Amino acid sequence: MKKILQLWSFSENSYAKWIFSLSCCLLILSINSMAYSQNTFQVSGTITDATTGEALPGVNIIVHRMTIGTASDANGHYSLNIPSPTDTLVFSFVGYTRILVPVEGRHTINVKLVSSTITGQQMVVIGYSTQKKKDLTGSVAVVNTQNMIAQPVGEVTKQLQGQASGVTVVSSGQPGEAPQVHIRGFNTFGNNTPLYVIDGVPTQNISDLNPGDIESMQVLKDASSSSIYGARASNGVIIITTKKGRGKINVSYDSYWGMQYPKSGNVWHILSPQGMADLAWQAYANSGIAVADMPPALLSQYGSGSKPVLPDYIKPAGAKKGDPSVNPSLYYVDPNYTDPAQLNGFYQIMPANKSGTNWYSEITKPAPEYNSNMTVSGGGNLGNYLFSLNYMNRQGTLIYTYLKRYAIRANTNFNVSDNIRIGENLEYSTTNNPQSSVLNEGSAIGFSYREQPIVPVYDIKGNFAGTQAPGLGNPQNPYAYIYRSRNNKGSANRLFGNMFAEVDVTKNLTVRTSFGGEIFSNDYRQFNYPTYENAENTLSNSYAEQHYAGHNYTWTNTATFQKTFLRNHDVKVVLGTEAYDNNYNNLGGTTQDYFSFNPNFTSLTTGSGTTTNFSSRGEDKLFSLFGRVDYNYRDTYLLSATLRRDGSSKFVNNRYGFFPAGSIGWRISNENFMKNITWLTDLKLRAGYGVMGNQLNVDPNNGYSLYAGNKMMANYALTGSNQSTVTGFQQTRYGNPDAKWEKDVNADFGIDATIFNGHLMLTGDYYIKDIRDLLYNPQLPGTAGLASAPYVNVGSMRNRGFDGSIEGRGTLTGKLKYDATLTFTTYTNKIIKIANNVNYFDQDGRRFNSGAIIRNAVGHPMSSFYGYKIAGFWNSQQEINNADAAALKASNGDVSVYEQDEGVGRFKYVDTNGDGHITPADRQFLGSPNPKYTYGFNLGLNYKNWDFSMFIYGVQGNKIWNQVKWWTDYYVSFQGAKSTTALNDSWTPQNHNATAPIQEAGSYFSTNQVPNSYYVENGSYLRAKNIQIGYTIPSNVVGQFGVSSLRFYVQAANLFTITKYSGLDPEVGFNQGAGNSGSYTDFGVDEGSYATPKEIIIGVNLKF
Amino acid sequence: MIVVSCKNYLDAPPQGSLSSPVLQNNKGVKALLVGAYGALDASGQYNANDITGSYSPWEVSPDNWIYGDVAGGTFHKGSDPGDQGTAINPIARMTVNPQNGFLDAKWRADFEGVSRSNQVITTANQTSDLSSQQKNEMIGEARFLRGYYYFDLKKMFDKVPWISDSTTNYQQPNNKDIWPNIEADFKFAMDNLPGTQSDIGQANKWAAAAFLAKSYMFEKKFQEADALYDEIRQNGTNSLGVKYQLTPNFEDNFRSTTQNNSEQVFEIQQVANDGTSTIANARMGDMLNFPYNSPFGCCGFYQPTLDLVNSYRTDGNGLPYISESNKFAYDDTMVTNDQNVAPDAQFTPYQGHLDPRLDWTVGRRGIPYLDWGPFPGTKWVRNTANGGPYVAKKIIYWRSLESVEADHSTWAPGTAINVVVIRYADVLLMAAEAKAQLGNLDEARQLVNQVRDRMINNPQNWVNYKYNEAYALKTVDSQAAMLALDAIAGDYVVRTDTKSTWVLLKGDPSNINNWNEYKDPNYKIGEYPPGSFTSKQDALTKIYFERKLELAGEGHTFFDLVRTGQANEQLNHYFQYEGQYVSDIKGAKFTDTYQYYPIPQNQIDIMGKDANGKPILTQNPGY
Repeated sequence: MKKILQLWSFSENSYAKWIFSLSCCLLILSINSMAYSQNTFQVSGTITDATTGEALPGVNIIVHRMTIGTASDANGHYSLNIPSPTDTLVFSFVGYTRILVPVEGRHTINVKLVSSTITGQQMVVIGYSTQKKKDLTGSVAVVNTQNMIAQPVGEVTKQLQGQASGVTVVSSGQPGEAPQVHIRGFNTFGNNTPLYVIDGVPTQNISDLNPGDIESMQVLKDASSSSIYGARASNGVIIITTKKGRGKINVSYDSYWGMQYPKSGNVWHILSPQGMADLAWQAYANSGIAVADMPPALLSQYGSGSKPVLPDYIKPAGAKKGDPSVNPSLYYVDPNYTDPAQLNGFYQIMPANKSGTNWYSEITKPAPEYNSNMTVSGGGNLGNYLFSLNYMNRQGTLIYTYLKRYAIRANTNFNVSDNIRIGENLEYSTTNNPQSSVLNEGSAIGFSYREQPIVPVYDIKGNFAGTQAPGLGNPQNPYAYIYRSRNNKGSANRLFGNMFAEVDVTKNLTVRTSFGGEIFSNDYRQFNYPTYENAENTLSNSYAEQHYAGHNYTWTNTATFQKTFLRNHDVKVVLGTEAYDNNYNNLGGTTQDYFSFNPNFTSLTTGSGTTTNFSSRGEDKLFSLFGRVDYNYRDTYLLSATLRRDGSSKFVNNRYGFFPAGSIGWRISNENFMKNITWLTDLKLRAGYGVMGNQLNVDPNNGYSLYAGNKMMANYALTGSNQSTVTGFQQTRYGNPDAKWEKDVNADFGIDATIFNGHLMLTGDYYIKDIRDLLYNPQLPGTAGLASAPYVNVGSMRNRGFDGSIEGRGTLTGKLKYDATLTFTTYTNKIIKIANNVNYFDQDGRRFNSGAIIRNAVGHPMSSFYGYKIAGFWNSQQEINNADAAALKASNGDVSVYEQDEGVGRFKYVDTNGDGHITPADRQFLGSPNPKYTYGFNLGLNYKNWDFSMFIYGVQGNKIWNQVKWWTDYYVSFQGAKSTTALNDSWTPQNHNATAPIQEAGSYFSTNQVPNSYYVENGSYLRAKNIQIGYTIPSNVVGQFGVSSLRFYVQAANLFTITKYSGLDPEVGFNQGAGNSGSYTDFGVDEGSYATPKEIIIGVNLKF
Repeated sequence: MIVVSCKNYLDAPPQGSLSSPVLQNNKGVKALLVGAYGALDASGQYNANDITGSYSPWEVSPDNWIYGDVAGGTFHKGSDPGDQGTAINPIARMTVNPQNGFLDAKWRADFEGVSRSNQVITTANQTSDLSSQQKNEMIGEARFLRGYYYFDLKKMFDKVPWISDSTTNYQQPNNKDIWPNIEADFKFAMDNLPGTQSDIGQANKWAAAAFLAKSYMFEKKFQEADALYDEIRQNGTNSLGVKYQLTPNFEDNFRSTTQNNSEQVFEIQQVANDGTSTIANARMGDMLNFPYNSPFGCCGFYQPTLDLVNSYRTDGNGLPYISESNKFAYDDTMVTNDQNVAPDAQFTPYQGHLDPRLDWTVGRRGIPYLDWGPFPGTKWVRNTANGGPYVAKKIIYWRSLESVEADHSTWAPGTAINVVVIRYADVLLMAAEAKAQLGNLDEARQLVNQVRDRMINNPQNWVNYKYNEAYALKTVDSQAAMLALDAIAGDYVVRTDTKSTWVLLKGDPSNINNWNEYKDPNYKIGEYPPGSFTSKQDALTKIYFERKLELAGEGHTFFDLVRTGQANEQLNHYFQYEGQYVSDIKGAKFTDTYQYYPIPQNQIDIMGKDANGKPILTQNPGY
């Protein structure tokens, strides 16, 4: 707690607020015990759900226009003394339609409440306001939070996958790894993360939000619903409201425990050690290299016979059992060596693992997970309160990765008087989340398909074995790699929330002020061990520590006017201002040369070698004015308009922008001509148009031409010193003071229908988004130097798509009730313009160096795959000669070869432009990782005390670039592990119908040097994300123990996946290596993913 | 109230940087000048540009090991075939195309240097607190550097756009020869810089003169070059005022503690362990070029060719096998190598006559690898089939200097060994070439001999078994003492009785058959006798060959071959000869298209089009 107080002192006055809200929390506990002795007339009754007939506990009952009230108990009973038998009672309960019942002298009033989701009376939170769901004119997806949080991953962004139409989430199995979330296609070349608004406070980050605290979640998808968030709306807005207390004291405890199981078996299809050796012999023979001319290092392991023979030891190379060189007394390794020169004196002895090491299974293991959530809540006339405490510990299936989180929340709300409400929402969280990098060759997962199976995990003395044994390539021991990270620690702390006050100035006018934001800090420390077992070793030991911290605040003031004129004209007007200020700083250092590697010893001060420190900081601000008008006539003609003016510190000459939007709705079902259609409960047509902005994609310094010193780039050892440099300056940035917002012009047409009295609900939207003035930093000509090019508003792109959902609910037979939802998302993204003279930009060269895999080009969707298309193999020299002759003829004698490095058994590429030979101009688009559509299907069934739920998610029509095949399917792509395809299904004179080309000792344009269609695979999949069966113990059994509800459940997550993809997991996100700014334009390249594990879970829900 | 104050509210000044006016003073210009020097080591800029701009340090290594040595046939790329193969193999095999990203990186790195040099000039001209002498000296250094960067661009790409300090539009065509501009920059620097500077790293008058003379040589202005070389030889000094002369010890030019000596005309200064925890200032461009599976860590690139090693064979007079009539006689016999010899099999190094410079240039089995012991052969070579059996030497740090020269901050080593751009031996051989071109064959011969004399006169500098003493298991004086040692495979012992080094290859140290003896090489080097330069062509052939022997592994070869018109003949011979033994360049052919690298396609694209719709940058012919 002391830490929290210190953090608060960052901003003035905050301390007082904290104390105030804390003391308020304590006060509220006594609210329910207050007596109302002056009341005389007693009313009592039972409240039940109109559909299910179940008793509803916790329903608020107050006397209309008074502060007298109570709440129903566990059995739905209530009893209340009221001043007069002519009063009216108001029954309200979240998720149900509020009703007013005149007492009319009755002492017993039983009430059936109707679920508001069925009637459309449900209130949904939209930008700076609330609206009845049925009156929405914008495109808003209301997330079923119950279904959502049933996913056992603990991070809201991952749970959102498939739960809301129009939202695309690409995730991985790594705990805490931020998924790629984007709404309705892509809205910018840069950061596509939507804006999250939690209890009215905007933020870009919800990774530490406890899902159990979420009451409701709305996704604002189109301009008419989200452009009131102006310059931050373009990526879509997700509004989250956290839970509030109500009724008598509720204590609930929800907990689950589970195990996650990684894939087992030969997941990379790697050859046996003998197969590896046979492949080497085959490849050299295919290249016309005699065994005697093969590299001595290779022969030293397998002998120089016509067939390779597996050794007993790989270091000393090729040694047999009993050889004096493997005498253990010779062995000397100091794994914690501090002087690189010591390495020279090591004598390591590594046995050969002739049966083969399965490296993937060495670095993965079944991992437990545990989550527990305790909530205390309650409320009454004077206000309400809710505390929650969440502990979650999700271990990763890749060893030494995990996510541990502690989150504590306090939400309180006070009715200070009839017309004044003050409250706060606050979460403090601490997260420990060491992650491994994924989708790249240099990670533990990457090494697991590169390290050869003949290498054992350990040498004869239990130190690590590896490619220090000659002739086995250069990967690192994957287990050692991740094991050495075990003591790296990091923690992220965050305080997020707000405090607000609301005053009803008159019956129609409410003013509200909210001050909120976050204070966060992240620490990370890491020790880099020297290595000794690999071909390429790290020779130094070093320690690094980093601290990233910041705070931001949002101060929002609104005035809301609401009135019904002339009975049928409902008008609601909201006007407001908002100020946002964001500060962050980064501080870190490294030190080398440690006397001891004990994690309790290593710190920045205890090293004796080179020390380095660094820091950076930044600030950006927004100031905004906004307004909205909602009008409806007879609940039939609906109209909404919003306007926002934003000023941003990130821009210089174009600091202010206007973001207007409007929408109309027509509830046809209210028209007289529709009244006779009884099966149609509700039908509404909607249309909206507006402009949204984006300013994430621009550096705060973008407007300025700047110079800076940089020790690495500008300093120079002018004095001739071997050890130190003289400070130099360089231009670091060209400024563009004219940059402005990215502008997202959006039209949306939607339909909402409720059929068969709420048994079936449909929502569908078609949209077009034209994004203009896209910020892009076109590469400057080399003649301008390397100073960062500024972002300029030059690009444009278009998204079109359809998203919708169908929800059905009802009773099948007797007590068997069902609730099913299908969500459906499509988008087509097309780049219209990048910059003048720039029709594409390439990314992601991997081992192709400058031959990039990804081309973002005009007329194509983001992150399209690009390269040569394979027409087949060259099956004979005659075929090559014919092609060469044709090339010579087509070029009038200029070109004598059809294709560079052509050879029998290698790839023949398609001559796309028909000029008779292969040039870079023959590259073509080979597919896109963007799916044609994604879908999610939730099914819930209830039978008496049993409940069943299931969630299926699918992705259809996307491609994946399986870069793992570059490593495993060509002998020549480094001397690492190879696939069974390379040995058994590669081209040979006998096997023309092969998968892989001929295996050779050389690397060629026509085999593995350039991106080509060999790597492109169908990435469609269908996955059973969640299947759950629960049983609720009847309340008459547990009631005697003071328990109001007790439910047990078992759950299976990711039980099966149907896919044709040959890699580890078809869910492949963006390339982390590309950094945040480049990532959204570079995804779908699989170089070893952190696969989503299968999970088995048992859980309990307990309420007192 | 809030509305009124929001104009100021939105001000958020940039953090951690300065705007241009702050630098318009003496200190500021000086800092920009240091920054212009800082761009010499372009490999440190490797992630300078965020989105499309990042490149790897070796793509822009200022010693041009890829573009000068690998392309020149003196070195193989090395490593595994696929490792960086997509970009480097086509350069080595003369099939490079304009899409090659390495060339784009190289182009941009040199122009960053141009850009920084121009900023110095612009800012100096805007600054009032500089005396005119100070201003001219600073501008002089900046123009020297600009000349240097353009010189590098010119020899790579030939057609290069000219951006000066007065250029405001960066879209400039490459349709004019920029040699006159380069000359003017070096001339200005030569006229305005002092002979003696306060810091050794600064260019002085003579460095500018040497570059100007070299420019003349590229332009075939032999008269002007000859006169200037005479002046440099007469009066030239290094930046601290020490008269130019060859150092007695050849390897002093490749060791950080002995560099910046009397032979140094211009070096790019490097530092190790400079507090950045990176090797950005520690010769990062060569980080891949260390022996493999060795104490260096990484990565087995940059391997000398068989053809280069054969070049060092000498006859009974200590002269190389070269003449106008038989330009490839040196390849008639191959220097014995261990291409197919396992590390634990016996190997006897070549016993024929050799030029001692070989073993300061190439690491080969059995010969002291600086003070790292006898080079263990294929054990430290990544893939002999792809890159041959040899490793580089001039860029390698000494074991005894590891704490000074080596930087292990990252996954591959950095070193404090300076990049030698021009050293006095280069000046002498260029001067000899100018003399020969002007028909003055005997003076040319004497200049060549002056270079050879360093080795002839300093036999104490020839590599011998004593270099192994420092880290040998032991120095002993008899076989019995050696066999009694508790040695393990890989240990080496210096024997004073045999004057040789013995390595235990495997097994039992008491069995003499498990030991491999390495005798000292049979060095022989002599002067060209009077009259041995029989004709202008013969003289030139021998001078060119002397450049190969003296300067191999310093990034010159390919540019020398093109400059002297030998590329076709030499490279096609090399491909034919070397391709019999090493697979990476097997079957390659050189055609004249490849004498200049293609203008990077990316640069042509982003430079845009002119008013007539034609690309502003013109591609070199043939691409």
